[in-house]
Amino acid sequence: MIQSLILARVLQVIPTLFGVVTLVFFLLHLVPGDPVEALLGETAQMADREAMRQALHLDLPLWQQYTHYLGQLLRGDWGQSIVDGRDVLSLMLERLPTTAVLAIVSLLLAIILALPMGYIAAKHAGKKEDAMAMSFSLFGVSIPNFWLGPMLMLLFSVTLGWLPVSGMGTPAHLVLPAVTLGTALAAILSRMARSSWLEVMNSDALRTARAMGVSETSLWWRHGARLAAIPVMTMFALQLGSVLGGAVITETVFDWPGLGLLTIEAIQSRDYPLVQGCVLLIALFYVAANLLADLLGIILDPRQRRCD
Amino acid sequence: MRLSMRLFWLCMAVPMAILLLAQIYGADGHAIDLEQVLALPSLHHLMGFDALGRDLLARLAEGLQLSLFVGVCVIVCSALIGVSLGLCSAWLGGWVDALLMRIADIVLSFPGILLAIALAAMLGPRLDNLILALVAVGWVGFARLARVQVLSLKKAPFVQASIAAGSSSLYIAIRHLLPNITAPLLIEASFGLAAVILGEAGLSFLGIGVQPPDASLGTMIREGTRLMLLAPWLVVWPGVTLFMLVMAVNLLGDMLRDKLDVKKAADQ
Repeated sequence: MIQSLILARVLQVIPTLFGVVTLVFFLLHLVPGDPVEALLGETAQMADREAMRQALHLDLPLWQQYTHYLGQLLRGDWGQSIVDGRDVLSLMLERLPTTAVLAIVSLLLAIILALPMGYIAAKHAGKKEDAMAMSFSLFGVSIPNFWLGPMLMLLFSVTLGWLPVSGMGTPAHLVLPAVTLGTALAAILSRMARSSWLEVMNSDALRTARAMGVSETSLWWRHGARLAAIPVMTMFALQLGSVLGGAVITETVFDWPGLGLLTIEAIQSRDYPLVQGCVLLIALFYVAANLLADLLGIILDPRQRRCD
Repeated sequence: MRLSMRLFWLCMAVPMAILLLAQIYGADGHAIDLEQVLALPSLHHLMGFDALGRDLLARLAEGLQLSLFVGVCVIVCSALIGVSLGLCSAWLGGWVDALLMRIADIVLSFPGILLAIALAAMLGPRLDNLILALVAVGWVGFARLARVQVLSLKKAPFVQASIAAGSSSLYIAIRHLLPNITAPLLIEASFGLAAVILGEAGLSFLGIGVQPPDASLGTMIREGTRLMLLAPWLVVWPGVTLFMLVMAVNLLGDMLRDKLDVKKAADQ
């Protein structure tokens, strides 16, 4: 039963992936006018233009371009960068570990901050502690990370001189980017933790347990936490994907040489195949994270296994 | 409730004061005065000057107006497109529903900000392209919300009665369906507005939104970051303004949700 549910959910990914690839393919055709002209400028030689047109397969009819693109992807060939002619996939894989470090530390930071805050807010719902935790949450979702970054730099690097301004190398370099990226994640997670904990504590199951004399500590931690953890873990899995979207801006602020900065560099140098590759790769991670969130729900929560 | 109201006005005071003061002083945000480059605030120029000798207060007001303009534009367009499509999807069902929801799924397979960045970058850095990119991402939320709401309304006795009485679909949509889904749509719109304002500023910060010499809070933060050591106020002020505006809009969403919460109202 559960195996077939999981299988059905995994199979659902196939049409989604197909749609994602199609959208990424059409990105190149959004460039107004002639992409070749946009790349080479109006003064380019005819021969150069033709060479570029052939390299991008723009000389083929649209449907052939599309099938060609699909075929390439299936063979693991993500195209070549226009700027230095290197393989797009290897360029991205080079940057991936850098982004992974930043993303993992930010997510850990977010969950370390969010869980106690959500607990305190739920435990003291409607009181001062709750208001403070929820104010932080509001602060976290409202503050633009491309401003929080410079402000943290100004305070901790320039004024206090505790941390390096930007770049990477030592663990100290990681602190400010991770805080910048993690704040919004923590805000969303703490809100989620609070509301799901509150909902569980007010449920019939927990009311029964309380009436049967289960101690308050056991009520919150043994019974409450288990149920409340399901939506929080689902949200966390979703954030595994969305953190990469946020990384695009944060990496630009801190000059952090990861996948996000690569995307922006590719956009600035109009390296269209590289832009397509980066967008596709981040979207793949995002789809995978969504899948993971759904699977977690199915595995952890028997109630979600009911067929509608 | 009272606390969020107070916090809302506290946040709202910053953008409102900037717009009001800029109106009173009436400086031109595009006039360049090279003698005043990075000049400190004075009585006649409350916030000083930027790196090109332009009045910072006037530029902040201009950026703020742009944020609001883009925000409202994008939300209105997204809502119009999204709600119409969501309504059709739920009402017609069948292949229309399947097709529209598949498209929505594809858009949702990208982190929103990434898709907006990719679209705006490919279309070219112009204001209309920026709006287009944000609408392309923004309509999905409205469509899915409208669809879910209409699906549950479709079975309601008063809608069924209207169908039996021979009302046209358009009449039912306008007379019965839309009025009953405004509350959740309003909540979606206010949180969406906060996201769009942040999105516009973010894209402009990355250099693929509003282009100089036009002022956007995002571009101002980008320019200010470069001169952070020399003139920190150039990055502090646009950020504070943007932050307060977004916080106020998010608070508005929270208050609307508390006030219009259908679930809570049914319990009482």
